[in-house]
Amino acid sequence: MSSMAMMMLPKVLTGPEELSVEGPAVICSFNVFGLTINFTETVVLEWIVMAIILGVSIFLTRNLKVKAVSKRQVIAEMAVEAITNLVRDTMGKRWLWFTPYIATVFCFSIFGSLISLLGVRAVTSDFSVPLTWAAITFILITWTKIRYGGVRGYLKGFADPIPVMLPINILSEVATPTAMALRHFGNIAGGSIIMGLVYYGLASASRMLHMHGAWLTVGIPAVLSLYFDLFSDFMQAFIFIMLTMVFISNAGPAEDEAA
Amino acid sequence: MKLGFFYIDLGTILFTLCNTLILFLGLKHFLFKPVQKILTERQAAVDQTLQDAEDARSRAEAAETEYTEKLAVAKEESAAMLRNATRKAQQRSDEIVAQAKAEAAGILQQNRDELDRERRRAESELRSEVSGLAVLVAEKVVEREINQADHVRLIDEFIDSVGDVQ
Repeated sequence: MSSMAMMMLPKVLTGPEELSVEGPAVICSFNVFGLTINFTETVVLEWIVMAIILGVSIFLTRNLKVKAVSKRQVIAEMAVEAITNLVRDTMGKRWLWFTPYIATVFCFSIFGSLISLLGVRAVTSDFSVPLTWAAITFILITWTKIRYGGVRGYLKGFADPIPVMLPINILSEVATPTAMALRHFGNIAGGSIIMGLVYYGLASASRMLHMHGAWLTVGIPAVLSLYFDLFSDFMQAFIFIMLTMVFISNAGPAEDEAA
Repeated sequence: MKLGFFYIDLGTILFTLCNTLILFLGLKHFLFKPVQKILTERQAAVDQTLQDAEDARSRAEAAETEYTEKLAVAKEESAAMLRNATRKAQQRSDEIVAQAKAEAAGILQQNRDELDRERRRAESELRSEVSGLAVLVAEKVVEREINQADHVRLIDEFIDSVGDVQ
């Protein structure tokens, strides 16, 4: 009887009846020079996140004034100054031009993770996304090393301090972006799996207790979500930009030498 | 169709790369550029205000120095004028006193001269009267006319001798 009543309830009230761990849905695919280019759910969500970030930016920077500033402008100025100071303190003055990129990755990462609160997949739980950002970081590290040390200096660095270290140095060079991408992906994806398990478990428990609807999933997961969604999302974004800044600025000489 | 949970997808990487670039340019253009422009403008305004204040202060200091100097000069001038005036007044008063003294001395002298003249006139009157009287007395005594002129001479000689004795 109770199972009959449950069948009539909309799915949002009954909670998940099965747990699936899958990647993003492919909306369509192209074949370019023999390569399959997938256009996935992740990219659509990225556009939504970008629209939100740019919309907020445009809203905050509307009608800026030198004097008698509005609350919106104060927020915009504080945000810009905070990220600028972070870059200055972490990387040094000569990397200040790098600030908008750090802000981009930070905003993209945090909003891309937080979008999971709307019930969709987090952008960052698609391994390709943090991998792309880690690849950009890797390219910038290599570019900085070549810029300040020359190609010879860069290649010599692999045989440092003794040529035997060559394989280990190559490994550590590749490990940097890989670890960054895996850490970010793992935390967000792991968090979403844990939250999925919690919802699934609580929905199952509700069914076992013959509740009319998955009422156990109300309130209880929110406490865990504070950590696995809000805190973890913020931490991963912050860790990612900190590592990016530290690795890139360490690839160049110290501040006073470069001056 | 869904991709694997842990899967590296070339399409997603390329799209994400483009999206990151677009977001970077967007944030730079819509957030950083306007805010930094405003911050720079505000910094310039603050610098300008500080510069103006500094200018005003240095101008005030210059004016103060100038006024202090002018005041000192004026004080010096007034002191000099006072000294000058005092000296002139002293001089003038000295002159007046001297003039008054001279005048007084002149008047005194004049009076003395007058007195002298009066005395002499009285003397000569007295002398002529005495001589006339003496002639009269002698006429009475001698009961005869004597040569008036001779007698006047004689009596005058007498009086002079008496005056000398006296």
